[in-house]
Amino acid sequence: MAANRLASRSEGSSVGGDRTFGWWAGSSLRPIIYGLLIVGALVQVYPIFFLLMNTLKTDTQILNTPFSLPTGFSMAPFIDVWTGDRTGMFFGRYFFNSVIVLAATLVLMLAISCLCGYAMARGHFPGNGTLHQALLLSLAVPAHALAIPLYFFVGSLGLRNSLFGLTLVYAALGAPFTIILMRAYFMHMPLELEEAARIDGCGRLGVFLRIVMPISRGPIAGMAIININWIWSELFFSLILMNKADVRTLPLAIALYKPAPMTVETVLALQYAAMALATIPVLILFFIFQRQIASGMTMGAFK
Amino acid sequence: MRGFRKVLPWYLFIAPASLMLLTLMAYPLFDTLRLSLFKWGGLGPQTFIGLRNFSKLFGDEIFWRALGNSFIFAIVVPFFTVSIGLFLGVAISRRLRGWQVYRIAFFIPVMMSGVVVATLWANMFEFNHGLFNTVLRSIGLDPLVQNWLGDRNVALISVMLVPIWQSVGFPMIVLLAAIEGIPQDMHDAATMDGVNEWQRIWGLIVPLIKPVLASITMLSIIGAMKVFDIVLVMTKGGPAFSTQVLGYYLFETAFRSGYFGYGSAIAVVMFVVVFAIAYAYVRGVRIESVEY
Repeated sequence: MAANRLASRSEGSSVGGDRTFGWWAGSSLRPIIYGLLIVGALVQVYPIFFLLMNTLKTDTQILNTPFSLPTGFSMAPFIDVWTGDRTGMFFGRYFFNSVIVLAATLVLMLAISCLCGYAMARGHFPGNGTLHQALLLSLAVPAHALAIPLYFFVGSLGLRNSLFGLTLVYAALGAPFTIILMRAYFMHMPLELEEAARIDGCGRLGVFLRIVMPISRGPIAGMAIININWIWSELFFSLILMNKADVRTLPLAIALYKPAPMTVETVLALQYAAMALATIPVLILFFIFQRQIASGMTMGAFK
Repeated sequence: MRGFRKVLPWYLFIAPASLMLLTLMAYPLFDTLRLSLFKWGGLGPQTFIGLRNFSKLFGDEIFWRALGNSFIFAIVVPFFTVSIGLFLGVAISRRLRGWQVYRIAFFIPVMMSGVVVATLWANMFEFNHGLFNTVLRSIGLDPLVQNWLGDRNVALISVMLVPIWQSVGFPMIVLLAAIEGIPQDMHDAATMDGVNEWQRIWGLIVPLIKPVLASITMLSIIGAMKVFDIVLVMTKGGPAFSTQVLGYYLFETAFRSGYFGYGSAIAVVMFVVVFAIAYAYVRGVRIESVEY
């Protein structure tokens, strides 16, 4: 798979070998291409920089001198949105709601997906092929098309306004893709270790838990990383299922946050601080797991 | 009996996932199809009305606006993200100076949540104090000042800029991986044939990554078809329905107005459209993967 090749290729080498690039090297198009790349990169990065800077500015500064840099660093806007004392929006709480839903979804989704993917890769049982077909088909179903019955079904289980209810929905939505990729991975895993353990009298589940899971830590972590992004950002089902204020997730709270000038003097900085609160963890994660994220996203598109 | 005991463990392995997918995906999908034939306010009895929801949709102007805008989204946004992504992927794979910086810069927005991106851009588009109009006024380009999200002729373009900005990095990273997967000896052969850079791109790189290009285009089209967060945060479908899309119209109809049967009919249309795109891709467009 190309993603692996990307990872193994030495970082500095150029594809195509020759370091002088035909018309790119000499011709008049060269400055245009560099110009496009540099302007493009600035367009991509500046709004994020703007977001982070605005957390530290007063409303007057944000609106009248948008390009000015903050005069000092203060945690105050972050503390204000985190505690919610002055804004009435308790972003500390929403942050933890999002973290809980994220963690629980990953655990549940990976557990059921590994079990299912492993059985599909190793087992010979009637319905295996049908299951695979059904999973592939389910990738083409837009989540919106499930929303109305899910709203009532989750409600009938008494799981509306429950972080667990949202977790169940997210785990189900993410499972098909995860199962398909885990199945593909297990199919390429060598059989020897499992066979040895079977001969030693280990049951299927024992082999799975004691042999297969430990040696698959890498791919499982990879699946977790590529799923973090959409779970952390998901708005639609959170909006539908979470009507009470104290169970909101971070994206929902940000979408509902209308800064009211009457309650506090500096309102915009608080909104930007709330946005930064949702963004900074993702940026940190990105810089730690850059390569895994890139190859994970690639894996999805290669299927 | 022996045979059954042999397969039983596997059924237990797939049971949790199957149970969840049956109850939380298969059942809701079929129930959406069923509900689309009913009139239902969420509480009380469901009245069977046949295909009347669909005939009502047929005459519903807002629905046609939503469907049309969703298609515009699904054409315009992937066109720009995939072609810019291809340009970036080629440029970065050629190791132009600063390629590491471009790769990170273009990829960071992909990681951000749609709500944050939409809120940020809504603030920048704001008429009185938004970044764009402030800049335009300060450099004397007042005629270019727009009511970016409030003018019905401009709003759809403004809204579409945001997913383009956010997601160019996704095709870029995927196409980059595909380009870097092209074996060195094919490049060397091309070099010996004396191709120029333009011929290398169109004669070697693009044909070899065609399957990935097709797949990323399809994923981008489906992604654009499902746009919701950005519309909710930035315009709520307005002004005058100029940014109404299927996903948001479904949400409004069912969860704001309480027409769950009618909403289900919109959901069915959305399902059919997305499914048809995926099916067309699997059947027709998909080219045999290239084996190196």
